[in-house]
Amino acid sequence: MQRSYRNLVLTAAAAATVLLLAGGQGSAQEATKQKQIVPPGAAPPKPLGPRGPSGPVPRTSDGKPDFSGLWNSQRNLPGQEEPAMLPWAAALTKERTANYSADDPEARCIPGGVPRAFPYHHQIVQTSKLMLVLFEGNIHTFRQIFLDRTEHPKNVGPLWYGDSIAKWEGDTLVVDSVGFNDQFWFDMAGHPHSTELHVIERYHRRDFGNLEIEVTVIDPKTYSKPWVMKREATLETEIEMTEYVCNENNSDALHLVGK
Amino acid sequence: MRPVLVFLALALAFSLVAAAQTPDLSGVWVVSGSPDIAGTPAYKPEALKILQQNRANLKEKDPATYCLPNGVVRVTNLPYKIVQTPKLVVILSEGNTHSFRRLFVDGRAHNLEVEPESWTGDSIAKWEGDALVVDTIGLNDRTWLDSSGKPHSEELHIVERYRRASATRLEVQYTLDDPKAFTKPFTFTRTFTLQPNREIQERFCTDQNHLAGKQ
Repeated sequence: MQRSYRNLVLTAAAAATVLLLAGGQGSAQEATKQKQIVPPGAAPPKPLGPRGPSGPVPRTSDGKPDFSGLWNSQRNLPGQEEPAMLPWAAALTKERTANYSADDPEARCIPGGVPRAFPYHHQIVQTSKLMLVLFEGNIHTFRQIFLDRTEHPKNVGPLWYGDSIAKWEGDTLVVDSVGFNDQFWFDMAGHPHSTELHVIERYHRRDFGNLEIEVTVIDPKTYSKPWVMKREATLETEIEMTEYVCNENNSDALHLVGK
Repeated sequence: MRPVLVFLALALAFSLVAAAQTPDLSGVWVVSGSPDIAGTPAYKPEALKILQQNRANLKEKDPATYCLPNGVVRVTNLPYKIVQTPKLVVILSEGNTHSFRRLFVDGRAHNLEVEPESWTGDSIAKWEGDALVVDTIGLNDRTWLDSSGKPHSEELHIVERYRRASATRLEVQYTLDDPKAFTKPFTFTRTFTLQPNREIQERFCTDQNHLAGKQ
């Protein structure tokens, strides 16, 4: 199944641009109109939806929280601090956002990487050795988080999803990932990173239907201090994940209009 | 002992044995020999025409050229990893689109309401003795049965029987029924060999490789 959530955001911008180009050229009125288009990356995060179902946290046979289930997209909580970007990163992000995110690799079916959150479902399948994350989109792929090893391999990467290992701190699963390439964006605004990226995710299932994820981005070549993002996801009990195939009739790329 | 207690004790013993005997298909597996199917289904004339067209323009017609999914029957010679839980079995593929199949072992019936047709269809599974029997429908007609261009229609119905023949050998029996494209059902068997020291590597297919770097 092929869908295009970006079109929701981008079609307005693209259509407005096309209309402006189709109409007269260079009038003051058009200039005013064009200024009103908000680049998608500059849009503030949407407010959180309703909470997931309540109830006790499911546990595995060895007593650990079981994160298995179909989760809605991870959504950033509102009112969070802005990242402390080094000048090159701030300039690049500004340029990408101002260009209506037209160069976002995600829209060309390139892997989204870590810790990008998508407005799709993701299914967690947990065993004693592995936390498997199955993505509905941006591409229909998976990420393996290993619970049975404590060290990253030497000379790992560069990878899109990095090498992920995890350990328990009480009821929180702490996922440590390194070995990334520098090709993906963290979000539609275009926040960049280097190959020295180190991501720590703390997964905590607050109750049956609500998952908290605290993401810490450590990348001294890009950010002057760690960037902490607080997110939540809610459990989906009524529907199934679809088979989103990004490369099937992908029309997004054609709609991406830069400056 | 009273009969009801005997019955309960026997039922408990039986269920414990049954639970203990559920075979474990988990592991990283690679197809033994060629990933292509040796035989050819008995095609109806229209499907045969499609097969000939595919063979005449193999690369151009191949969905894999465009990084589209191989579907259920077609496999590559790169590793597959089976992750098994009591209610869900997941098959991860290193090659092709680096994607996954989900086999639901939770007793549900087929449900094609949301997606009448998809690349990997709707797969429900149950244990029959030591075999995991997977029933798949709801497929589109865009995938091939193997890399030689063997087509099928959206009426394809696949039954796979996964059996761990030994610690290192996985046997999969396929029965393909496609009344629109075949004159009769087509069966064949594949075996896979365990790769004890191998893990699925990250390998993405993208038809815009200039954007994906050298991965």
